[in-house]
Amino acid sequence: MFQQNGLSLDQAPPISLIFRFFFIASLFGIFSGLIMLYYGEDIFDSSSVAHIILIHTLTLGVMASFMLGALFQMLPVIAGVVLDAPTRRSWWVQIPFALGVIVLLFAFGFSTRLLYTLSTLLLGVSLLSAIGMMLMRLWKVSYHSASSRGMMIALVSFCLTILLALYLTATMSGYIDGEYYSQVKRLHYHFGLFGWITLLIFSISFQVIEMFYVTPAYPKALSKYFTPLLFGWLLLLMPLIFFASSVSRIADIVLWFMMMGFAIVTLYRLSQRKRPLADATIWFWRLGLVSLVVSMLLMILYIFVPWHAIAPLYSITFASFALSVVFAMFYKIVPFLTWFHLNAQGYYTAPMMHEVIHPRTAKKHFWIHIYLIMTLFLSVFEPVLLYVAGVLTLLSFSWVMYQIIHAHLLYKKTQATGEKFEIS
Amino acid sequence: MKRLFLDAREMEHPQPLERAITLLRELGDENYLYMIHYRNPIPLITLAKRQNFTLLAHEQSERLWHILICKNKEINLNRLLDTNIGLE
Repeated sequence: MFQQNGLSLDQAPPISLIFRFFFIASLFGIFSGLIMLYYGEDIFDSSSVAHIILIHTLTLGVMASFMLGALFQMLPVIAGVVLDAPTRRSWWVQIPFALGVIVLLFAFGFSTRLLYTLSTLLLGVSLLSAIGMMLMRLWKVSYHSASSRGMMIALVSFCLTILLALYLTATMSGYIDGEYYSQVKRLHYHFGLFGWITLLIFSISFQVIEMFYVTPAYPKALSKYFTPLLFGWLLLLMPLIFFASSVSRIADIVLWFMMMGFAIVTLYRLSQRKRPLADATIWFWRLGLVSLVVSMLLMILYIFVPWHAIAPLYSITFASFALSVVFAMFYKIVPFLTWFHLNAQGYYTAPMMHEVIHPRTAKKHFWIHIYLIMTLFLSVFEPVLLYVAGVLTLLSFSWVMYQIIHAHLLYKKTQATGEKFEIS
Repeated sequence: MKRLFLDAREMEHPQPLERAITLLRELGDENYLYMIHYRNPIPLITLAKRQNFTLLAHEQSERLWHILICKNKEINLNRLLDTNIGLE
């Protein structure tokens, strides 16, 4: 869907592959709503099983599914990377990955060695093989844009996140004594949240903000150096967390200021759009970026004022950042892919993008999403609201799932009954 | 040859592609599409190739591409390239 040197639609994976990843993500999203309803305010206790289950449902089940789906789509078009037999490869990733997430959640719940071992195998094999395959092909690319370079770095971070997780699960299942458990856990969160999720979103921003919203390009120095700098900073944190914990807190603060800086530059770029009309996707971006700034400020505040309510608040705002951007991308990707794949196949009767997902539908979802974030935020102080947030989460991800099913059915219907044209 | 001109430099994605496809459907032997864009619109080029159009993609500078597409196989698109377009 992106326009860049080296792009070819012929290299792009089939639309069903992307839809399957997004469908799995929405299923896990619905499950996260059920977790909120089942566990209630326990989810805010970072030492509880409920918390760890919810975090991994959202980061692995929801975010990783959306992001892997997006990567399968974007790598051929952003970086000109050719993925051989993408459909077969994606099955080898999707099935063990989805099973691995489910088994991991059960492992957290029942804490048995067998479940930890099984989930480690399923997730390790599926994710590491997918990341390895993508990285190998990215490595061979002769010219890297800011986006493709950032994607590589984000994938390396994801790889490190998984390797660190192996140590954690080995400790939790009793294979090792886990002498460095707390340090490794902190690094696992750092590389997962900042190195993988945030860096990937930043990398994609370099490409899509200008293209989707007709803004001025990012400053060259920022697009060239920012993602390697952020990753370098994360690497610097590794020894500091082990050997100089108090210094690592200062490094954390610098990291969070860097991330805030990027969010503010992007918000400024969005304010410089050449077209004044704002659709739901822009509002999703704005909400996401403001959430990131608030989350970083709360993380910094928590270092100086360790009040118990701040930790869930920065987690909620960080989740709002990641999910808002994912939804913004979702409402651009799904209609475009449906329309473009059908046009490329020559279907004269291909539905227009607004017929796949109407802008009003996206806007309605934005309101559901913002009410969800507000309710979740307030539920830290008034736990009964968490049940409203749980229902809104169910509604939000069911909304997404419906859009995927609708787009898929429309696509299939056009293929079955549509008229083909030969414009030449 | 009549030129169907499309300046896509300030259009939001995917409007350039939508507009270009509409114009491709209007092409005959006596006209051609002349599009300027700030990047190489490869999806359009892929689609045009699939439909057996003749095309030329010329990068004049870092953020100025000239895309010429026609139906008539006899036309030399290099002769229709005008590098003054887009400099204003």
